[in-house]
Amino acid sequence: MPDTPIRPSAWGGLTTILDTPLKRQVAIAVILMAMIVAPLLFGQYATVILTNALLYVVLALGLNIVVGYAGLLDLGFAAFFAVGAYTVGIATLNFGLNFWLALPLAVFFAIIAGIIIGTPTLRLRSDYLAIVTLGFGEIVRLAARNLRETGGASGLSGIESPWLFGWHISTPLDFYYVFCVLAIIAVVVSVRLANSRLGRAWLYVRHDEDAAEAMGIDRVKVKLAAYVVGAVYGAIGGAFFAANLGAISPNSFSFQQSVLILMAVILGGMGKIPGVILGAFIVILAPELLRDFGDLRLFIFAVGLLLIMLFRPSGIWPAKSRTGARR
Amino acid sequence: MRNLLKTAAGLALAFSLGAPAIAQDTLTIGLLVPTTGSEATYGQDMANAANLAIAEINAAGGVLGKQLASTVGDDACDAQQAVNAASKLASSGVVGIVGGYCSGATLPTLKIFGDAKLPMIIPAANSTKLIPENPGNVFMVNSTGNDQVAKAIEYFTAKNIKSIAIVNQGDAYSQDLADLTRTNWEAAGNTVTKFETTNKGEQDYSSVVTSIKSGNPDAVFWTAYYADGGLLIRQLREQGYQGLIAVGDGSNSPELFKIAGPAAEGVIGFSNPTAEFLPDAKTFAENYQKAYGTAPGPYSTLTYDATKLLAWAFTTAGSTDFDAVVATLQGANFTDTISGPISFTPEKTLARSNFVVLEGKGGAWTLPQ
Repeated sequence: MPDTPIRPSAWGGLTTILDTPLKRQVAIAVILMAMIVAPLLFGQYATVILTNALLYVVLALGLNIVVGYAGLLDLGFAAFFAVGAYTVGIATLNFGLNFWLALPLAVFFAIIAGIIIGTPTLRLRSDYLAIVTLGFGEIVRLAARNLRETGGASGLSGIESPWLFGWHISTPLDFYYVFCVLAIIAVVVSVRLANSRLGRAWLYVRHDEDAAEAMGIDRVKVKLAAYVVGAVYGAIGGAFFAANLGAISPNSFSFQQSVLILMAVILGGMGKIPGVILGAFIVILAPELLRDFGDLRLFIFAVGLLLIMLFRPSGIWPAKSRTGARR
Repeated sequence: MRNLLKTAAGLALAFSLGAPAIAQDTLTIGLLVPTTGSEATYGQDMANAANLAIAEINAAGGVLGKQLASTVGDDACDAQQAVNAASKLASSGVVGIVGGYCSGATLPTLKIFGDAKLPMIIPAANSTKLIPENPGNVFMVNSTGNDQVAKAIEYFTAKNIKSIAIVNQGDAYSQDLADLTRTNWEAAGNTVTKFETTNKGEQDYSSVVTSIKSGNPDAVFWTAYYADGGLLIRQLREQGYQGLIAVGDGSNSPELFKIAGPAAEGVIGFSNPTAEFLPDAKTFAENYQKAYGTAPGPYSTLTYDATKLLAWAFTTAGSTDFDAVVATLQGANFTDTISGPISFTPEKTLARSNFVVLEGKGGAWTLPQ
């Protein structure tokens, strides 16, 4: 939906209120407080679900850099998630590495994977790009399913939970706070990137590649950077996911997983950090909140998603235009 | 106000999650089964069987003077969903868990139930990977892959078979079974001529068949499910393979005969005790049919037994105290079952293999005479 000005509707009003910068500091303080006390107030189940939601915040923010900032549709994001999880799994189980040594290794392999998928696909646009990324996602999943090192279809189990300066990160509460910190780092990095020279370059490339190149932006470098940064987000999410669950299997990295992460980005509002966070919380929390409906759970969830897309086609909390002219 | 909605959503979630108060005069058993996703049929079947057992126990006066109830946690056969469902069950005041269908999804839940001090009985999931991950509260009443392999090797040896070809489908279950069979078969001094992995949903098995035939094995062992197994059996026979064909317990469905046709005549199947082959299960099958309008599925008998076992453990221990119940289960010699008596090894797996050998005859599975 390009070029439609914001109509002064009820939704527009809400967006304006939510975007008022004056209240930002207060809001951030309140949210941080809420994040700290939430698990203490609401018990273990809520802690586990919120941890899961925070993981998706990290993953969705990573995908948001590729899809939202650089405008490259990626249907295989779970591949990077898998690379992170499996690197940590194999490094700790087979080579006896410490989790904190395995983590940079996971990031390293994710960067390589980002370059591998990025380089050949840079010439492609839109639909073709989506198909190639989808293929890449499936290649990684099938490789994980069939290699001996990755434990085949039954995956890896018995991954040790990490220690940090004498603190054994093992209970759901420990992992909740770890994911809180990860999510906060992910948000800060995303904000800084969006306002950086690279972030502006992504925006330019997304709007018009040819014009961007004419203005001296190295299209190849900029797009590759988006893939690599997104991959690093995915890998870090995957590494902690593996440590948290203690067991990983190829099922966790299916096409459906990629779609779920993409859904969080699109639902919340592409390119808009609070929107993406909201999207991640919705795709994780909504099915859980609906658990009491039993068989109707996924049906109600699907209807809800359809309604959101009908009434908010650019996401619940979409990005404001930077230039004013385009939306 | 950025992130306001996030907080609001979080709070709304948290309030609604406040554990629903379970009435004091009932004991609730948590059922961890997949009721959505590809395995939903089996999960629903298991939940039905558990509820049937609970209804019968309640009719007979309940447990410790209280009525039993159940609550289902849907694991959707997915590790993440299973962790969520397990955490919900663990914090909702249940006294014990019956469930676990998909091994991969069950694996990360063991620790959650262990930390929550809840005894768990697994009626279906039987990957050997579950054994080392057991924190001490988990009892498996389904024979593991080890037991099936032992049964298969015993049968092959009795039939004077020296070489086999093993075909699996690359999923956790069939690959586990195939790997275990290869290891133990070779350890027993026999040969594996070919070890093949097919893709799920494949239609043309001619290359696999050619490869198998080139090794000329005495028997072919298919470790995966009936849908693809049926096609493989048919194509093996069409291309003139004469040796024995055996299938694992994922293929013990009557559907195999619809797909393979007459080629499945004489096929050997290793199976868990399903209702139709258990003399004691006749009443159970009738009650199940009456209550739910369908025939009981493959894991319903074991789930029924598991539920009764847990109720028995509460009664015998005289309380729902974790340590007492686990000690009771460990020492159990429970005979009020339809799938055969239950007692446990020190590893908390079933002490006695309950696998049976079936033979395809006249388009149906029969117990060989």
